[in-house]
Amino acid sequence: MKRYTFSISKANYDLLHKHLFPGDGDEHGAVILAGICETANEVRFLAREVILAREGQDFVPGRQGYRALTANFVAHLSNRAANEKLCYFTVHNHGGSDSVSFSQTDLDSHARGYPALLDITNGGPIGALVFAKNAVAGQIWTRDGIKQLDQMKVIGKNLKRLFPKPPKIAGINAAIYNRQSLFFGSVGQARLARSKVVIIGAGGVGSIVSEHIARLGVGHIVAIDYDKIEDSNVSRVMGSRLWECFSWLQASRLPLLKKLGIWLATYKVDIAKRVAKQANSNVKFEAIRGSICSKEVVEKCLDADFIFLCADSMQSRLVFNALVHQYLIPGIQIGSKVPIDTRSGSVENVFAVARPVLPEASGGCLLCNELISFAKLQDEALTEKQRRQQAYVADPLVKAPSVVTLNALGSAQAVNYFLFNHLGLFNETLAKPGYRMNLVRENSWTTVACKQNPDCLHCGSGNRSIYGRGDRASLPCPN
Amino acid sequence: MSPEIKPEVASAIDEIRRAYPSSEVEVTPDPDGGAYVKVSNLHIGSQFNPATSWCLFRITFQYPFADVYPHYFVDGLQKVSGEPQPQGIHVGNPCDVNGVNHPATMVSRRSNRLNPATDTAALKLQKVLDWIRTQ
Repeated sequence: MKRYTFSISKANYDLLHKHLFPGDGDEHGAVILAGICETANEVRFLAREVILAREGQDFVPGRQGYRALTANFVAHLSNRAANEKLCYFTVHNHGGSDSVSFSQTDLDSHARGYPALLDITNGGPIGALVFAKNAVAGQIWTRDGIKQLDQMKVIGKNLKRLFPKPPKIAGINAAIYNRQSLFFGSVGQARLARSKVVIIGAGGVGSIVSEHIARLGVGHIVAIDYDKIEDSNVSRVMGSRLWECFSWLQASRLPLLKKLGIWLATYKVDIAKRVAKQANSNVKFEAIRGSICSKEVVEKCLDADFIFLCADSMQSRLVFNALVHQYLIPGIQIGSKVPIDTRSGSVENVFAVARPVLPEASGGCLLCNELISFAKLQDEALTEKQRRQQAYVADPLVKAPSVVTLNALGSAQAVNYFLFNHLGLFNETLAKPGYRMNLVRENSWTTVACKQNPDCLHCGSGNRSIYGRGDRASLPCPN
Repeated sequence: MSPEIKPEVASAIDEIRRAYPSSEVEVTPDPDGGAYVKVSNLHIGSQFNPATSWCLFRITFQYPFADVYPHYFVDGLQKVSGEPQPQGIHVGNPCDVNGVNHPATMVSRRSNRLNPATDTAALKLQKVLDWIRTQ
């Protein structure tokens, strides 16, 4: 049976919460327009926009209930939902703290109005949410019947989960996790076991991330890479062995043996799976030999809890950034650089960085922070012949320097960020915004503030932005 | 069956049609969801021979996040005065459309500060035309 969940950014949640609980103990209302993500096991609603109902204008004394949204307010927003292919959710609050449910009056009003709303919004789904201070209940109306909301996830620096009532979570007390459970508890361990994490790129950075999160006890790992191991990777890819590169065969002058060597070489994702299984035999590990830029692959990532970007192409950055903002999935981009002056050969500023990207304004959007080169993006769409015709100077055989210890710096920072984010361990007031860049040659760190462009087509709130649209917008992948 | 053009690319093409109502706009989809677009009957300046040309360019599937360049004009474009070609204009540089070479003159004008929210393929075409008309 499918689970029904709701994801909302912390910024939108705080806006809503402040409106619903201003301290007057009274009832207040709002509407959320949401995108949707449907996968085999889950239907996830994605809060794209929160519209607060103004007291006395949009939210007035009801004829049958205590309060109601006005017909004009409902009509305007349900039409918008229909036109923009979004799901319409009414929101109000009750008293109480850790548990909440709909009153009979609420349920009766749904029965009166929602069949028509379902039609107006072209089959929705539509629904209602009722909040207590630390709880939320939801009723979802679909063409296939009425469903109940399982949980709401508030995506911020710390992931916060809300339920209709406090859930009973069986902790995990396995001996292998004993030392880390002393930090975040058996319930935290259980939360890791239930999480699904995507790793884009299983090379020097991704292989470290994969082993670390497997050892942490993450239950479901999806690793994506189309590449096979080569001898120049072995110094950086965790668990790789020189013999499985078959470089001696690939070095053969006989084309057939060369082809055989290429065919026999192990895929990087298969190495990552082997290492992960050694660390945690219970892990569900999907080793995907493919590219995040392909639609079939990206569909496996839509219900992830977290995404690590460990690949360097601009296209993978664009898809990652779209996934974070379109599907409200937190993520982190990892990199290190050893820039070398091509004229003098001298090494310039070496750095390692892990850039968190949260689906909200100033959340680290790669577009807003100019970390996606539009020129390189266009280059990546060209064939080799087209690149030559356009007389590009860049030699594809030139590789940038890459060192395992620098990769480890960024990877460890990123995995710690995931751990703290997923289990709510960050100090909300002290944890600094932005991302930390390790300036290795200077033996120091710096915090880089995140920029935001309000017109951004990924994280912005304009009509053209893909923010929170989920399946109702297309991803930037080729056909 | 021809590959499907992505909605963002289709919108860009519609905007080009609206911006150049007296030109024929031919569209050839590429395999990824982008398209090659050829806009005919564009005045590029009497300093050139010919003074009117078509313009062919590719809008890749990543649009609006990828730049639209280079732009291709009729092959053998020459200055009437006999002066050498200005920098950025490459005669005899064919355009590869889905693996087939089309003789052309390439004009390469990369956008250095592309803003996907506002910079459209139609706007880029106009900027390239404005530039070539001043050469």
